Amino acid sequence: MNEKELQVAEKIKGMLVENLRIPAEELDYEIALFGDGIGLDSVDSLEIISCIDSEFGVAMTGVGKEHFFNITSLTKYVCEHME
Amino acid sequence: MERQLNTRCVVTGLGMVNAIGANVNECWENALAGKSGIDHVKSVSAKNCYADLGAEIDFALPENKEVDRVSVLCLKASEEAFNDSGIAGNIEDATRFGVIMGSCVGGVVSIEQYITNGEKTEDINKMTISPIANNVATAFGAKGVITNVGNACAAGAISVAYACELIRAGVADAFIVGGADAFASVPFSGFHALHALSENPCSPFNHSNGITLGEGAGAMIVESYEHAAKRGAKIYCDVLAAGISSDAHHITAPRPDGIGQMYAINRAIDMSGLKKSDIGYVNAHGTGTAKNDEAEFLSLHTVFDNSGADLSVSSVKAMVGHCLGAAGAIEAVYSIKALTEGKIPPTVGYSDEDIENLKEKAGDIDFMPNVSKDKELKAVMSNNFAFGGSNASVIFAKDAGEVKEIESDGDVFITGLGIVSPLGNGVENYVAKVSEGARVEGNSAKAEVGKEDFDKFDIKMAFFRKLDKFSLIQVVSGLEALKEAGIVLEEGKEEDYGMIIGTGDGPLTTVYEFEDHIAKEGNENGSAFNFPNTVYNAAGGYLSIKTGLRGYNVTVTNGSQSGLQSVAYAFHEIRQNRAQGMLATGTDENSAVMEKLYGQLGLVAGADAKLYGESGMTLSDGSVSVALENAASAEKHGGKKYARVTGYGMTHEGVKYGSVAGSEAGLKSAVEKALAMAGITADDVDAIYGLGNGVKEYDDIEIAVNKELFGGKKPVHNVRSYVGEARAAAATLSVAHAALTLSGDLPASQKAFFFENGVEEKDVDTSAYKNVLVVAVGVGGSYSAVTLARV
Repeated sequence: MNEKELQVAEKIKGMLVENLRIPAEELDYEIALFGDGIGLDSVDSLEIISCIDSEFGVAMTGVGKEHFFNITSLTKYVCEHME
Repeated sequence: MERQLNTRCVVTGLGMVNAIGANVNECWENALAGKSGIDHVKSVSAKNCYADLGAEIDFALPENKEVDRVSVLCLKASEEAFNDSGIAGNIEDATRFGVIMGSCVGGVVSIEQYITNGEKTEDINKMTISPIANNVATAFGAKGVITNVGNACAAGAISVAYACELIRAGVADAFIVGGADAFASVPFSGFHALHALSENPCSPFNHSNGITLGEGAGAMIVESYEHAAKRGAKIYCDVLAAGISSDAHHITAPRPDGIGQMYAINRAIDMSGLKKSDIGYVNAHGTGTAKNDEAEFLSLHTVFDNSGADLSVSSVKAMVGHCLGAAGAIEAVYSIKALTEGKIPPTVGYSDEDIENLKEKAGDIDFMPNVSKDKELKAVMSNNFAFGGSNASVIFAKDAGEVKEIESDGDVFITGLGIVSPLGNGVENYVAKVSEGARVEGNSAKAEVGKEDFDKFDIKMAFFRKLDKFSLIQVVSGLEALKEAGIVLEEGKEEDYGMIIGTGDGPLTTVYEFEDHIAKEGNENGSAFNFPNTVYNAAGGYLSIKTGLRGYNVTVTNGSQSGLQSVAYAFHEIRQNRAQGMLATGTDENSAVMEKLYGQLGLVAGADAKLYGESGMTLSDGSVSVALENAASAEKHGGKKYARVTGYGMTHEGVKYGSVAGSEAGLKSAVEKALAMAGITADDVDAIYGLGNGVKEYDDIEIAVNKELFGGKKPVHNVRSYVGEARAAAATLSVAHAALTLSGDLPASQKAFFFENGVEEKDVDTSAYKNVLVVAVGVGGSYSAVTLARV
């Protein structure tokens, strides 16, 4: 990740810790957020979409599941779509 | 000994207000005509929201600045029902006349008002659900069992069920029951965040693409047939039976397999003595979300297909919106009107194409698209399903029927305890701390749960991170009590065990923080993550998910005494054979928000609180659960029999909400009823577990009544000495502490207060206690008393 991506990834991680109450020590950039990883569900994905929209101005409603896989994939999507 | 519960429960008065009418007649005629009350919202902001519809009341309501809008609605419907019944002046014993109201969001309009309009003290006492039933009770002179049911969208239906149970038990003659909720930003923003709002008017069993919120209230007078007949009352119908269950599946979504719903429906049918084919109309929950409608289609087809039923089903939500905690009450009133008028209101919003598409989904059931119809009905069913996995089904019928409920007078034992308190967590810890004389210090104390508790009860991160503190402390105390009791669910008998959650302030901190956030960030930015925790039965929902307990699951909320009312309620469920065992709990949370609100009300001590010392309270919190089991269940699971529950009394002496001053008669009457049920006298009571909290008006009531009933000579123990005013948790802890004393787990020598000559504190020997009395108070003048006996 470049510097900008690292900044975005840290912000996303902070948001997951703060808003979804995921213990920080359980989170790295690669762990799967849904399924067998952290175990997030559809309500959590709504919260992620809402937070990314207000933090970065990037709309992720209806975006493919693969972009929500982990912090790295979210970061990549956000960075590609940020103005 | 078992006895058949033959007492007929009848409905003698109806009241209703919603978006399509200011009274029952208007609401009814407009529903038959298929008139929808759904329009663009006016009372909340829909700016930047993808949906902007609601079924708001756009006509003038009675002016009443003393209460929240939810109580304005509830008082209006209650007044109509009260007048309709002609019961005024015909109540011989007001302590046998009660009020049970359901609500989901309670006084949330006042929370918004407080936050956005100068943080006025007068708004604080209107914020929770608790004032609703109090306001109705005080307005109509009810002095019996007063409480509110906080089971979200099933709350209104459960209020009818519980009232009938109490009438059949012989505890009460009559009730005003129902439910109310006002249109408000929190639910609008929350359902918006969950993408559960429909962009178009909600379309139950049709497009099923979300809900449209509504507001209103429904009320009924339910009384024993004997009481109604004696006064020559007009009788609408009988309430034959109800079924209540919990999905133990998901905090917002219904079980896709529908088994929780079907248990409630089948239980109601079985207990009613009817055949399925006797039911001609089901007023469905029919919210219009895909998950609800799919589960409900499945349940209705599974239960009624091939039963010979000629069944009609409709959802009035397409016209009046989803009125949340009022839904069950409003829909019960519509169901009763359908039964008595022989007409069924439609589900509106179908196009010709929709009607064609409906045919396959409907099968043999008539889903009543667009137009009402005449139909001779013998019995009708009203179903409601809620967040937290709460299910309720109620059956109304024209004739008496053969109700199959029974009641036993067998022993009910306390077999498990769970304690989360500012002194630490776990029963063992509590005993150790009390034994060494530990007491919380200062004017505010908070319990904590964390890794140690999660590891102990195998609570995984994916589960615990979803819960706010209110739910977390409840889950931990509930799991400890179950573990202590050794209750292990047998497959196929998951419905034999349930829970009554008691809370005074519920998840007020979470609701306040949700409102505070949207007040700043806009309704379009509500948190989908936090919204499910704003319902009062979230804690009970999570506990049922974690434990698999699928039985009777109700959250009662009427001030701090809710934590003792829950014990009375759970005891009663076991006695009436709806459960082999129950958890009864008390849970309230302390937080920066609560410190601010209680501080502003002037109830918190300046420094250390001194009980019975005019100091103000130590604001505190916690969660305490007690496991109750009948004798057979207790034997099977082998838990320690700490004590027996032997009786209860629940009463109300209406005073201005926010105060308790002047309500002594309520406490006296609750104690007298509990002693009578237990078959003992005041002389037989060896000790009292008191309600004083350091606030003068509370302490004065206890001292006055103690002197009157016990001459001030009996020892009074008070758990607030150790943990502070933990509100509902302190009420349940009083039961736990008494049980630990009767069982000999706590040291025999304990501190006690005596009121004979002023207030004295002395060491007493508790080892000979046989019968003890636990009392608790709720602001507004509600009281519970429970008697315990040594095993």
